[in-house]
Amino acid sequence: MKEPLNHRLGRREFLELTLGWCAAFFALSASAMAAVRFMIPNVLYEPDRRFKALKPEDYPEGATFIPETRVFLLRKGNSFRAVSAVCTHLGCTVNQSPDRKGFHCPCHGSQFDENASVVGGPAPHGLPWLLVAQSPDGRIVIDASQQVKADKYLVI
Amino acid sequence: MFQNLFKSIAANRVIRSIFRVGVPRSNLQRAQAAISSFLLHVQPAKVHKNVLKFRTTLGLGLITLYLFIILVVTGILLMFYYVPSTEHAYQDMKDLEFVVTAGLVLRNMHRWSAHLMVIFVILHLCRVFYTGAYKAPREFNWVIGVGLFLVTLGLSFTGYLLPWDQLAFWAVTVGTSIAGYAPVVGNKIKYMLLGGNIVGQSALLRFYVLHVIVLPSIAFFMISVHLFRVRKDGGLARPEEPTALQKEHILSQLPQSKTYGLMELARGTTPAVGIRQEDEVFTWPHLIFREMLLFLLVSSVVLLLAIFWNAPLEEAANAIHPPNPAKAPWYFLGLQELVAYSAFWGGVVVPTLVVTALVALPYIDRKRHGVGVWFSKERKVAITLFSICLIAAISLTVIGSLFRGPNWAFQLPWKTVPSEEFHP
Repeated sequence: MKEPLNHRLGRREFLELTLGWCAAFFALSASAMAAVRFMIPNVLYEPDRRFKALKPEDYPEGATFIPETRVFLLRKGNSFRAVSAVCTHLGCTVNQSPDRKGFHCPCHGSQFDENASVVGGPAPHGLPWLLVAQSPDGRIVIDASQQVKADKYLVI
Repeated sequence: MFQNLFKSIAANRVIRSIFRVGVPRSNLQRAQAAISSFLLHVQPAKVHKNVLKFRTTLGLGLITLYLFIILVVTGILLMFYYVPSTEHAYQDMKDLEFVVTAGLVLRNMHRWSAHLMVIFVILHLCRVFYTGAYKAPREFNWVIGVGLFLVTLGLSFTGYLLPWDQLAFWAVTVGTSIAGYAPVVGNKIKYMLLGGNIVGQSALLRFYVLHVIVLPSIAFFMISVHLFRVRKDGGLARPEEPTALQKEHILSQLPQSKTYGLMELARGTTPAVGIRQEDEVFTWPHLIFREMLLFLLVSSVVLLLAIFWNAPLEEAANAIHPPNPAKAPWYFLGLQELVAYSAFWGGVVVPTLVVTALVALPYIDRKRHGVGVWFSKERKVAITLFSICLIAAISLTVIGSLFRGPNWAFQLPWKTVPSEEFHP
């Protein structure tokens, strides 16, 4: 079929083209969205972020690192609190600073004071305080998935 | 005697059915040799003399391609022993080192070619910039090249999670956290990359699939388009190309009845018939010989590196304690240095700006002068700006690699503090 050079788009042709392109667009974008959604898992098989620690009297004064949940459990007399050891900058594990008064990150040099607020380095905000509770059998339970305000202590 | 043997082999019917032309003896056969072979026909039958000069490209693009080929071959071989599981991955590295015949050499070759490929992609990018070879009509091929640079970095990044050692684990923890700083979709991207919230089994499997099939396929496709366009955009950039008008004039002078199959008569800036024919030489044997020689050289260097230096393997991944200092491989240390100032500005904004600037470069710098000439004096401004950015990138990398000690504190390389042990 030979088409004239200055071919004008008729109504029928216009509707056909519009319908065709719209159908192709929706089919492609729906498939793309489904593929992206497929890549986001619905069920995770990750370790529990709650951890049942020892009894309060088993912990010394100061900070104890709990590797299972990557937190520091801090004791001051009768009061306990837990601070996340996951740096808020890029996820490395922070260490206690040599003077034992704060924390510092080995990856990019973020520094936190004893209340876990940022005092130096690139970290955007302080280390979160995490929920500490006592279970009926007297042992300490840390829930790393639950953040609490930075003044909440568990007083035994 | 050998001559006769060789001749009878070349004349064999089976051999002739495979290599139709045989050993080319005439110019016609030389042209046919290049055209009738699937692998050789990627190149034109004749190329401009400047293609043969080492100075034109320093062979950088071709070296990068050869490294990619070595990486594909060694990578496929390594896949026969490697299991992408958090329980097996590190042990498989040890097996490759101590149990598998030639396993260590193959892993070393894979690692050193990967490092070399990053170096040569960057050098190739610099060559194309400093010779002005990204200018019209090659703008889009430059964009594909920038894409290939990113894919190369992606391949390196996904590749070094696989040994599941300390470097792997913490580099990926840091890298995916940087992705998390991207505005709006950052955390979703991070979740999708890791297939969860932690760097664990799903992350390892995802990086493995990306590394062995997704990214290599993308790279293969883009390399094909890249090479195809080198030809379609008129071969390697060279100075004083005849203008389109001159070419039209020459084309109009040619008799209409003749066809020029071997000469690539085409519109645009492709080499056209009648334009300085005397400057063109046959691809076979001139170019093919040089390409083979370069391949021999590249594979020998990689093999020597692999025999004398072992690829690093740190302790098995420990999800609790990062090493101190925790450093990424050298090509990401410039980025890590930036990230140590601010994760958002250094990890998201600066890289986005750099990539945007690289992609936009040929569309901003549209002046036609200095094409195919090293450090053309007519391009002073562009060359100065690019060089400043390049020096900044190199300085950041040097600072990140040599001047940073435990806790990312500044240190002088000749006064290194021993790495700090973890103390809770």
